[in-house]
Amino acid sequence: MSQDIRPVTIIMIEDDEGHARLIEKNIRRAGVNNEIIPFQNGTVALDYLFGADGSGEVSAGRQLLVLLDLNLPDMTGVDILAKIKSNVHTKRSPVVVLTTTDDSREIQRCYDLGANVYITKPVNYESFANAIRQLGLFFSVIQVPETA
Amino acid sequence: MPVTSRTFIRSTILLLIGGLVALLAIVGTTIWLGERSQSFFDEVIEAREARVAAVGLRYSLTQAEGGQRGFLITGQDVYLEPYTAAVAQLPAQIAALESILVPYPQATEPMARLKDAIAAKQREMEETIALRRAGREAEAQALVANDVGRQLMEESLFFLGAIIDAADERLTTGVSDQRANANAQRLVNIIGGLIIILVVGGAALLVVRYTRELTQARDEVRTLNTELEGRVNERTADLARANEEIQRFAYIVTHDLRAPLVNIMGFTSELEESVKNVRAVIERAGGDDPEIEAARLAATEDLPEAIGFIRSSTRKMDGLINAILKLSREGRRVLRPERIELDALLRAAADAVQHQVAEGEGQVVLDVQVPAIRSDRLALEQIFGNLLDNAVKYRQKGRPLEITIRGRQMPGNRVAIEVIDNGRGVAGQDLERIFELFRRSGAQDQPGEGIGLAFVRSVVRNLGGEITVASEFGKGTAFTVILPRALAIAPEGNAK
Repeated sequence: MSQDIRPVTIIMIEDDEGHARLIEKNIRRAGVNNEIIPFQNGTVALDYLFGADGSGEVSAGRQLLVLLDLNLPDMTGVDILAKIKSNVHTKRSPVVVLTTTDDSREIQRCYDLGANVYITKPVNYESFANAIRQLGLFFSVIQVPETA
Repeated sequence: MPVTSRTFIRSTILLLIGGLVALLAIVGTTIWLGERSQSFFDEVIEAREARVAAVGLRYSLTQAEGGQRGFLITGQDVYLEPYTAAVAQLPAQIAALESILVPYPQATEPMARLKDAIAAKQREMEETIALRRAGREAEAQALVANDVGRQLMEESLFFLGAIIDAADERLTTGVSDQRANANAQRLVNIIGGLIIILVVGGAALLVVRYTRELTQARDEVRTLNTELEGRVNERTADLARANEEIQRFAYIVTHDLRAPLVNIMGFTSELEESVKNVRAVIERAGGDDPEIEAARLAATEDLPEAIGFIRSSTRKMDGLINAILKLSREGRRVLRPERIELDALLRAAADAVQHQVAEGEGQVVLDVQVPAIRSDRLALEQIFGNLLDNAVKYRQKGRPLEITIRGRQMPGNRVAIEVIDNGRGVAGQDLERIFELFRRSGAQDQPGEGIGLAFVRSVVRNLGGEITVASEFGKGTAFTVILPRALAIAPEGNAK
């Protein structure tokens, strides 16, 4: 990734500051040094991804990887996922759903909408930390396309 | 006035009795009138016979006299022929008349006189005829002229005339009697017919009215039934909605509780790591500085202890949350009703605990004779698996475990399955508590979180059933699961 001119930016949409902090810590521990931009609610995250006009042109040329929680205070992560996957500028960005919801229907729905990875946050911290570190390793090898 | 079934039966019976009486009366009077008619007829026939006999006798007498007179005048035998023919018939005709008149005692004496008169007349005629043959014409004429013969003849004719008149009168009255009789019969028939028509009409009217009222009542019952069904459906839908809301609530709450728990556990681990680093430094520092000593105590004892408690508590909380999650997930599971032979299902469930039961010399007895039901197999397996596990888990130590599983049919298209054990039992005040989440009863000597029975009750209710318990502490416990024979699925009830 280091040879990339524009390194991948990790967009972390997670309303729980503690979770965000723990995720960041463990990603860093896995040796991933990419920029992580945290958003604590859906509205701000959508503003960043699709711009003030909502067209998504602002994301053109960006290399994004989205880390998405489904339980957000202002909207459900599923809607954000649907918007990302239906916008021409963002649809190629990988989306990792990382959430406490383990309802099978919800998981199916996310994959149907185009989620690339769905991970249920383990409550046990060791497994949680382990999962995030694995995810970090995954981030370090994944090729992220430049958005159109 | 509404026709109750009792008054209906009573009136119908009364009407039937009335009809029967009328019919009997008609038949009785008809027979009686028929008899009377027969006797009238007999009388008429008798009168006719008497008349015929009397007329015949009179004719013979006049013929005989006519023949005698002709012979007396002419002296030729040709004129005597009617005389001889009539005289030959006389005895038979007299006997016939006499026999006809036998039943009439008042006629006996005149009849005797008639016979004498006829006999005397016959003698007079024979005498004159004999005189004429002998050529003594004058003597014969004198005998005729002495008027004795004429008087005898008149006397006889008078008597016969009287008989003929009497017979004629009998004929006339007989015919008119017969006519009156026929009229009476007609009248009786008409009246009886009217009564029968009235009775039949009344009965028919009653039947029609009763039937109409029955139909009305049936319609009312049907309407009420439909309304009731509607109300039941409404209630069921309400309950399903409420249940669904609770399930959703439980689901959301558990997920929202999990998020902070992840933080607590996560940062506790971070804290633990940090404490390790701090402890390494402090242990190296050495020295007798009381501050360093205090810091060492904190790093080596107080902090690890605190972290230990935080960890065990969060682990416990995690277990509880998972339990609630399990309940809510089961509540949200889509039920798949299928045909289930309870006997086979319960046998399989019993087999699953068989080795544990056999270990303690115990046994499981099955007596399940109920028809197949339609329900969710997994849910039923969970229910009876849990109950049997409990029976094994809470058996009375030192007593071979006896588990009886009984099935029977219940009114209202339901079945009841009893799981009875001779285990340690549940104290009276705990009977309701054991179904509550996280609540347990008796000696806490077995692992468990107090979820099993709460889960079982939730599943049973999901299937539209109910579970109850009866127990005697130290003797045993009996759980009764009542299930509908056909699982009703609300249109969208458990779908989401």
